[in-house]
Amino acid sequence: MTSLPTQLPAKPRKAASLVMLVFAMAVTLAAFAQVGLARDGRIPAGLVGYGGGLAVLAGAAYFVIMRFAPYADPLLLPLAVALNGLGLAMIYRLDLDTSRTRQEAIAAGKKIIADEASAPTQLQWTFVGIFLFALAVVIMRDMQEGDQKFNLTPKTMQRYTYTVGAVAFMLLLLPIVPGLGAEINGARVWIRVGGFSVQPGEFAKLALVVFFAGYLVNKRQALSLVGKKVGPISLPRARDLGPILVIWVMTLGVLFVQKDLGTALLYFGLFVSMLYIATQRGSWVAIGIGLLALGIFIATFIPFLSHVNQRLSIWQDPKPYFQGGCLVDGKVVKTPPDIVDGQIVLDGITKCARLGGKYSDSEQLMQGLFSMGEGGVLGKGLGQGEPWRTPLSFSDFIFTSMGEELGLTGLMVLLLLYGLIVQRGMKTAVDARDPFLKLFAGGVSFVIALQVFIIVGGVTRLIPLTGLTTPFLSQGGSSLMANWILIAILVRMSHDARKPAPQAIQDEGMTQVVSTR
Amino acid sequence: MNMDKPLRRVTIFALLLIMALMINVNYIQGSQAESLQTDRLNNRQFLDVFNRPRGKIIAGNLTLAESEESGLSNPKYARNYTKGLIYSPVTGFFAATGGQSKLELAYNSLLDGRDRRITHQRWFDAFIGRAPKGADIYTTIKPKAQERAYEVLKGSTSQRAGAAVIDIRTGAIVVLAGFPSFDPQKVAPQTGTKGGQLLNQLDADKRLKPLLDKAMNDTFFPGSSFKTVVAALAMEQKGLNKNSSVFTGQLLLPESNRPLPNSHDGGACAGQAPLIQAFAESCNTTFAQMALDMGVDELAREAGKFGFGKPIEVEPDLLGQQSDVPVEVTDPQTGEKRKVGRDDTARSGIGQGSVQATPLQMAMTAAAVANKGKIMKPYLVQKVQDGEDQTVFYEARPREFAQPIKEDTADQLKDMMAAVVTSGTATNLRPFNIAGKTGTAETGIGNTNHRWFVGYAPMNNPRYAFAVVTVGPGSAGGTAGPLAGQIMRAVLAE
Repeated sequence: MTSLPTQLPAKPRKAASLVMLVFAMAVTLAAFAQVGLARDGRIPAGLVGYGGGLAVLAGAAYFVIMRFAPYADPLLLPLAVALNGLGLAMIYRLDLDTSRTRQEAIAAGKKIIADEASAPTQLQWTFVGIFLFALAVVIMRDMQEGDQKFNLTPKTMQRYTYTVGAVAFMLLLLPIVPGLGAEINGARVWIRVGGFSVQPGEFAKLALVVFFAGYLVNKRQALSLVGKKVGPISLPRARDLGPILVIWVMTLGVLFVQKDLGTALLYFGLFVSMLYIATQRGSWVAIGIGLLALGIFIATFIPFLSHVNQRLSIWQDPKPYFQGGCLVDGKVVKTPPDIVDGQIVLDGITKCARLGGKYSDSEQLMQGLFSMGEGGVLGKGLGQGEPWRTPLSFSDFIFTSMGEELGLTGLMVLLLLYGLIVQRGMKTAVDARDPFLKLFAGGVSFVIALQVFIIVGGVTRLIPLTGLTTPFLSQGGSSLMANWILIAILVRMSHDARKPAPQAIQDEGMTQVVSTR
Repeated sequence: MNMDKPLRRVTIFALLLIMALMINVNYIQGSQAESLQTDRLNNRQFLDVFNRPRGKIIAGNLTLAESEESGLSNPKYARNYTKGLIYSPVTGFFAATGGQSKLELAYNSLLDGRDRRITHQRWFDAFIGRAPKGADIYTTIKPKAQERAYEVLKGSTSQRAGAAVIDIRTGAIVVLAGFPSFDPQKVAPQTGTKGGQLLNQLDADKRLKPLLDKAMNDTFFPGSSFKTVVAALAMEQKGLNKNSSVFTGQLLLPESNRPLPNSHDGGACAGQAPLIQAFAESCNTTFAQMALDMGVDELAREAGKFGFGKPIEVEPDLLGQQSDVPVEVTDPQTGEKRKVGRDDTARSGIGQGSVQATPLQMAMTAAAVANKGKIMKPYLVQKVQDGEDQTVFYEARPREFAQPIKEDTADQLKDMMAAVVTSGTATNLRPFNIAGKTGTAETGIGNTNHRWFVGYAPMNNPRYAFAVVTVGPGSAGGTAGPLAGQIMRAVLAE
């Protein structure tokens, strides 16, 4: 599929991009205004701060692109801004309610809930994220100046494939380092640095894409060699199975140590898809899916990983687990806490453990679904629903919160936005001229789709629920920063791919750049 | 090697993932939204419910429950109950805590106006954003009889008492009364935290169980009234008829060798008698022996045909407590399950041991006798309709619950029940024109006999089946019998 002459010479699409960006901003500002109008009957004071802040930032990002990457894909920035803006508006809206709950709690002298929506924090992280985006676009300058000392383009990273790979593994392992790692909401995916909680996995995701791309570009010839043929499937050579087994063991490690099925699924799916892109061999996909199924199958037999079983059981039928169910000998029984005079004397978890069962609760999942049910087709309207009833309505379950207030219509828009980002990213990959960049862009685009699928599919009970962030929507700094860098990489690559090629030699990679001087 | 082809394929796959999400979201919010909103586990439907008007619950020409603007900002609507103590087994409560029971719970979505049956007819309202309006529930209860029932039950005991009356031809429940009761008015939304506290207090009373409706959600030992089931089984299985001669003499329990006493050893209970007489005079040994002959499994199976062994669905989400003839019991000491022994089988034959029944279940048993062997499915709601334009959203359609016995058996049992009043243990009831079976189950604790009268009225041309139980000293004929007589008099007069 070589590029055909019908392809138009790429032009900077400044006006189109600006119009789309303004539209994204208008949607965001309208969302903020709607929250205020619905709740207090007037435009909220937060509009200037939150909406205005986001507008200024997005404007700055736009000028950076125009200055340093004018040929970049015109849609990527507006799409990311729209998602981030809507997420921010939703968090602002949830913050209003949770802060009310907090004030009531303080007034009643009760313990304050540790997890709550915080719009100011999210805005700060949006600042940081967009700043990093702009910085990345500036730093990853044009490749024709390449090979200078302090040059860092997406392509440069190919040279550091194994270093980046090592960094990725370190990032992955950080949360289990004693004293540094922290367990929040049952998943050990956090580290504490200073006063901040960071999810290194979000950055590991990017590093892994780089590593996989670099590795696969080197090995893809070997990996695509045909070994034995079994029926219609031609198997790869046995010796080439090594890397996929290593990644398989690694993802199982994530599953075992961090008890994080979602992340394991994400990394493994990413690797298999990139392997397929690199080798064009369906047998790899078959082997990958087989290994994954085997891994999960094994996990269901290990008592230590019984939560995998439970996730599956809850997914099949969440109702018996509502507000706590106890899985004993394949049956779900209720173990309500014993309450004497309003005091819990024996909680459900202990009670269940005494029965020799495993306790778990589907309330969050069900509340999320109820929340979506409440929204219906058109939604309750921003600020008019009660999405805060779902625990973690601002992070893992922000999608269902959106569903309640924006309705099916709103969710379709959000999913379309994601679909467009994926499509633009994939187009960048197809347009790219270098195999490494192709794999890199393809990998980051696919990882967005897969991540959205895993978390959104989880909260909507399409697949078993596992915790991941919803890109750009979920509250959380690490996720925002990583995703903005991801967009920056795509923007940079799309500029490089689309700009008119002054020198044909560019296509041939780093080794020959020396001769251009 | 070009990577564009696999890239395009992966793109399609990635977009298919997103599309799968879209389809799923469409399914949830497009087609499942309403069932999610009205899901039993979804307490949202009960939370903001105080701020919307709600339909009425009506019996005859009496409004049992209605919503009125409270003048407060929250809750905007108060829920008012008429004669709450009397009607709470029907209406249930609608509490400040958001909790609900009985019809308030089972018909919540219709009362609330968010039920599919309403929204489908009112889609235009939803489209223009008009708040849903609840519909009114018309129950099958006869208010005068219900009030009479509560009065007489209250006067009969210092403990628990319950009564259920059903129309044998339709299954409509016309009386569903219990004592002690509670007044839902005192826990209604407008009572705030005080109501919530009271609800907890009521819930904590495990002896009198005021929150529990005694007519269909509380169980008692049916005592001799259960002999109806045993007799039915014996007649169908062993080919006996009402005139067959049966054993009525002394019986030693097979395991403990202790005698199982009759209430009297004279009359029919002196050795041999026709079945009709043994039934009328309620000879224990006859039915204990029958139970022993047939075994507890047979007994449980027969009882199961009448509805024992599973909760009785009166309305969707409104279930009557399960009545039971256990074949296995749990040892209180070891916690192990064991088969019911021979002694207990004999006791089960006379409605003691571990046999438990609700008044509703016993009324259904009597209904089979009075209605040619057929039990109609009991129900409590006649129709649901809009308060203003009279649009009907739901109308009850009577249907058969089961036919546990043959018509011929039923007719003979009918005569046997009549004999109880004409010549048996309840001759004092002759003026009431009712027939039935007495039951006095001794619980062994002080004066806490479970005294029953289970039967039908009028005697010559049955229309209603009833069961009345009251806990206290003495025997059934003199206590539960007259209660049933008075209740049935009110039912037939209405």
